Amino acid sequence: MDILFVLIPLSVIMALVVLGGLWWAIYRGQFEDIEDEGKRILEDDD
Amino acid sequence: MLTNTFSAEDTPSNAAWTILDTEDQWQAFSKPIANQDIQSSQQLVQSDLLLDGLRCAACSGIIEQGLKSTPGIVSARVSMSKKRAVVVWSPSATLPSKILTAIHDLGYSAFPATQHEDDLASLQKQRAAFWRWMVSGFCMMQVMMYASPTYFTTPGEISSDILHLLNWASWLLSLPVLLFSSSAFFSNALRDLKQKQISMDLPVALGIIITFIVSSAATFDPSGWWGSTVYFDSLTMFVFFLLSARLVEVKLHRKTLGALDNLASRIPENTERQNPDGTFARVLNTKLKVGDIVRVQIGEAFPADGKIISGNTSVDESLLTGESTPIQKNLNDDVIAGSYNLRQPVCITLNTIGESTKYGQIVNLINNAAVEKPRLSKLADRVARPFLIFVMLSAAIAAALLWNIDHGRALMTAAAVLIVTCPCALSLATPAAMLASASAFVKRGILIKRIQAIENIADVDTIIFDKTGTLTEDHIQIKTIVTKAGLTESAALTLATAIAQHSMHPISRALVNAHKANDLPSPEIELNDIEETSGAGISATIKSGAADVSLLEHSAVGNELKLGSAIFCGIAETNTSTQQVYLANKQGWLATFTLQEAIKHNAALAIASLKEAKLAIELLSGDRSSAVENTANQIGITQFQSACSPEDKLLRLQALKREGKKVLMVGDGLNDGPILASAHVSIAMGKGVPLTLAHADYVFLNGDISQIPHLIRHAKQTMRIIKENIAWAIVYNLISIPLAFFGILSAWLAGLGMAVSSLIVVANALRLTKFASSETDTHS
Repeated sequence: MDILFVLIPLSVIMALVVLGGLWWAIYRGQFEDIEDEGKRILEDDD
Repeated sequence: MLTNTFSAEDTPSNAAWTILDTEDQWQAFSKPIANQDIQSSQQLVQSDLLLDGLRCAACSGIIEQGLKSTPGIVSARVSMSKKRAVVVWSPSATLPSKILTAIHDLGYSAFPATQHEDDLASLQKQRAAFWRWMVSGFCMMQVMMYASPTYFTTPGEISSDILHLLNWASWLLSLPVLLFSSSAFFSNALRDLKQKQISMDLPVALGIIITFIVSSAATFDPSGWWGSTVYFDSLTMFVFFLLSARLVEVKLHRKTLGALDNLASRIPENTERQNPDGTFARVLNTKLKVGDIVRVQIGEAFPADGKIISGNTSVDESLLTGESTPIQKNLNDDVIAGSYNLRQPVCITLNTIGESTKYGQIVNLINNAAVEKPRLSKLADRVARPFLIFVMLSAAIAAALLWNIDHGRALMTAAAVLIVTCPCALSLATPAAMLASASAFVKRGILIKRIQAIENIADVDTIIFDKTGTLTEDHIQIKTIVTKAGLTESAALTLATAIAQHSMHPISRALVNAHKANDLPSPEIELNDIEETSGAGISATIKSGAADVSLLEHSAVGNELKLGSAIFCGIAETNTSTQQVYLANKQGWLATFTLQEAIKHNAALAIASLKEAKLAIELLSGDRSSAVENTANQIGITQFQSACSPEDKLLRLQALKREGKKVLMVGDGLNDGPILASAHVSIAMGKGVPLTLAHADYVFLNGDISQIPHLIRHAKQTMRIIKENIAWAIVYNLISIPLAFFGILSAWLAGLGMAVSSLIVVANALRLTKFASSETDTHS
């Protein structure tokens, strides 16, 4: 089970990386308009 | 002829929109942006518009395409969920009034979305709140992962090294939750302490800090007297739940405010003022002065009190008096601010402007009444103080009793008491239930301005209704038709419509509407010499007759048609107790139409079910007595009062208040504003005046009053569930404190208890997301 000594710290680092990604997404406005962008893809674009 | 009549009705007050075309006006909802097209150097402007009439996703596409094909508009983006459009246009090629007209021509309406200076700040705040919630949620999941091995194993099964490592990892990921996500609880608790108040935030903040300190000590020194159990999982989950509740609350609040924004957002009020050279130019109403001469177009509101100096017209003063029948105004008659010009453009000189007008006084009355409204105590905050004192006392007693035996054990027991009593369940009890209810209301088209209004509406015992627009529709209806022998009812209606369609009078429009509703063929009668005598009727000569056989006899060319009062038609009045209008020709009487205000179809049902719930019901109306009595009798209200001024209504309300009654006020017009603002709780119909809506606790977007009994029932159920939740939280604490006190409750059991108690409270509250009366739901 020694691998846990690597995996647990690694999971903490991964969690922090994901949090960084979420921060980026929130402050880029990715969550501001969830409904419309999904529908826009169905519309014809000229 | 038909098309003419209707296009006149459809044409918006385009003239009023031109006030937006000056730069200082459109700057309020626009900002200049850089031109991305390198080839042209023209300046571009980006404007925000609020849209009305959007129904589905396809609508946004229609508006976007329509705007893009309008000259001068560079791009347009419509957000369906926000009901907003962002339009980029070139000031050298088009004007805001043209953009509004283009949207109007597509079948939607648009208003400028005036930018508030704090818009950007509120966006930042919103993002920060979402980010806090995201951090707590994600860290909670990860901490749960680290904690889960201890849930399924017996002590000693995991080697202490690994356990230590897991605790370390949990500690690391709990740090952002403590320092970042829960900072609001700490700052609120500090603020309350400074003001010497105790709110729910104080026990929450204390619980978080103590849980974290004890768990940290256990992480770094597992052999110490703090014990080796960590509570990071409970801590992060607790913070996540609390933040979730707050996020939903903010979201609902924004939704409500957004809808009100839409209702209150209008073109800035403006009027045509006469220049010294005799021409007219549009100016903002705030720039008008006493003595100015202004011209008021049909459909516009009078900007100030004044006297008519040219023309005559009829006006609608129902916003101020509640009287729904138009009033005739001739030369030198006084008109009042806030009433509407119905028939002809007139010029007036202004006598009184601003706050000294009756309109201004009512607005003031509303604002003052709103200020006087007592602040409501929140149920949970009332519980917080005794709870906190009780917990602190128990912890202190535990520590004091054990201090002489063992310092370490004394501190540990005190901490255990504080952890076990972590006020999760108590602090979630009220918000979870109220938010679940509020979201159920929103689905039914009911907006709540203040979430605490649920507490108020649950204990009302008296309801005061306004009439026009609340119990009745705001237009007149044809009730019965009596005809001369040989003339059918539908033929009489068709004949009346032929002449009525040339008038904008409410009764004429009622006739035209009834004709349309009955699907009758268009009259095909052409008229000459149409002449409307105000306050009496309308007459005309037939130019070419109808093709229809049933009408042939009565539409001979050259015959005269008259529609109006008995005197105008030259016949004897048959019945004076009801409002009637007559149709006649040269030979005499043809038909009589009895009119009535259209009562909302479900009004009687709603009143009956409110009476069943043992609520006292009153009707206070500004309208004349016969109309009020008729309405009251038809829907079963026994207590009514007619010809009430806003002051009368307020007096009646204060009298009821002195008797200790809890009054729910349901209203619509501007004259209801003061009473809405000072009632125990109030409901406004969504079609009402924006000012009234701004002071009501609830807004019914679809004006469906049959929702009121359901609303009250649901609010009562909400209060019942809140009490259940609080009772449960108190029982849980009463059991767990003695257990922790005597050291019987093992640490993991305490953590589990905390989690389960919160979950039970949330699950109980979620029962409220379904509206209580789903079996009678026919709209959804």
